[in-house]
Amino acid sequence: MADVALAPSLAGRYTQAQLRNAGLFVLSVLGIYVLQPAMPIRQMDFWLPTAALLLAVVVWAATAAADRSARALIADGSGIAVVLLGIAGTRYIEPLSTLFTRTLAPDVLTVLLALAFGGAVALLIARLIGPRPGWTWGVLAALVALLVALKVEPLTQALAGALRAWQGQSVAAASALDVRWLGFSYLFFRLVAALRERAAGRLPRMSLREFITYALFAPAWIAGPIDRPERFLRDLRADFCFNLADSMEGGRRVAVGAFKKFVLADLLALFALNEVNALQVRGAAWAWLLLYAYALRIYFDFGGYSDIAIGIARVFGIRLPENFSRPYLKPNLTQFWNSWHISLAQWFRAYYFNPLTRALRTRGWPAPAIILTGQLTTMLLIGLWHGVTWNFAIWGAWHGLGLFIHNRWADFARARAMPEPPALQRALGAALTFHFVALGWVWFALPDPALAWRMVATLFGL
Amino acid sequence: MSDDIIRPLADYIANEILKNPKRAIRPDEKLISSGLIDSFHLVDLGLFVEQRFGVRLDDGELNADTFDTLEQLAALISARKR
Repeated sequence: MADVALAPSLAGRYTQAQLRNAGLFVLSVLGIYVLQPAMPIRQMDFWLPTAALLLAVVVWAATAAADRSARALIADGSGIAVVLLGIAGTRYIEPLSTLFTRTLAPDVLTVLLALAFGGAVALLIARLIGPRPGWTWGVLAALVALLVALKVEPLTQALAGALRAWQGQSVAAASALDVRWLGFSYLFFRLVAALRERAAGRLPRMSLREFITYALFAPAWIAGPIDRPERFLRDLRADFCFNLADSMEGGRRVAVGAFKKFVLADLLALFALNEVNALQVRGAAWAWLLLYAYALRIYFDFGGYSDIAIGIARVFGIRLPENFSRPYLKPNLTQFWNSWHISLAQWFRAYYFNPLTRALRTRGWPAPAIILTGQLTTMLLIGLWHGVTWNFAIWGAWHGLGLFIHNRWADFARARAMPEPPALQRALGAALTFHFVALGWVWFALPDPALAWRMVATLFGL
Repeated sequence: MSDDIIRPLADYIANEILKNPKRAIRPDEKLISSGLIDSFHLVDLGLFVEQRFGVRLDDGELNADTFDTLEQLAALISARKR
């Protein structure tokens, strides 16, 4: 491998891996502020990323147990404080005031108070929950409650009202759209993974800096891929130097991803199914065209985004898990879900489906009942995670039932020792699977059941 | 890799999961990523490993990253039995 000595270790004192890790830590903390859009509620573009940071610190404190070298902890804590005070400091320097936050950051004194508050909370959690893995359930419950509050519209609106009252703004004007917390949905998955691994006794010991880098990792902040703490840590601790091979490969992934997302997906968006054209479309052929465009657009958009995230991480020697593997060419729905948003499906398997299946199995439920319960509730939860609406629930149920039916069919075929299907049958399977998924997208793309039904009727010429 | 771990695993997968006792499973055959074992039966396989070998496979370990072949699963089991 051709090593390019980009930073030939600062005066020979630090290795490239140490410099890279320090850089990733600072970038990841800064990144959550830079990426957060402004909101109608004052200073939320500062406070929501700060809350994300606090959540990560709290989960670290709850999971790190007795492994805290005081010196490292002070260094890492000071690192966070310096970054936050640096952000607050920009408010006093006019040309830099919106460099890291979209609107003016709070003053330095307020940020100092917030740091003291956050430190005290972390210390309390570390004392209380750190030595007791069983108590991580409490933190998990709090995270779930927060996720629910952010996904259920009336609750989000109430939360917006509370935040408005705090900032001295009109509570009557509160709307669920006020709280757009970028990255929280995915932060939730990474934090829960850490809590569950800790409860299972499998979480490796991580310094505060390592954990913050994992939880807030800039390239994956917006929408994953969802990495596991143990895997991420392996890369972070491995020897590293910037090298041409990784940079070229990372650069190639970024270029491919950017093409998919900003050229293909954006072009397809011009005629992909949406709330407006669903009302206008006449005739089944046109309706299918809109739906096909939507199916391809969502794939290229999310797949392209994932490529970019994976590519950027690769340049820094972090190999994020793959998220897509030719999903639309798979011969059945089970394999589709093994290759679409892979890191999300794996998360749900590890922390929901497997424990549920295990519990029901040991209670002696019959296999088909377990499979139906497991598939249906998993897919319903994945649907509702996108937002608590009827359409996302129907989309989830559609896939859950589809997976159950395919599972029963596969079981039936296996019991009769049916041979491997020939190529033509596999191609037909892929076409059928694609159309099943595409019909699911009708519910995903459109906001309410009435409009979705209308679209389905148009698709079938009714 | 020791045959006394691979054989019972191969038999269990052929008889109980694939319902086809004649099906021979190669030690390096992909089990999970190929879709041969679905997510439900993977949990069953985990329970079988627990009963038979007294080795606990965690819910987060039942995936193709942790093991995808009989060889890899047997290596995992023998490493934990020690």
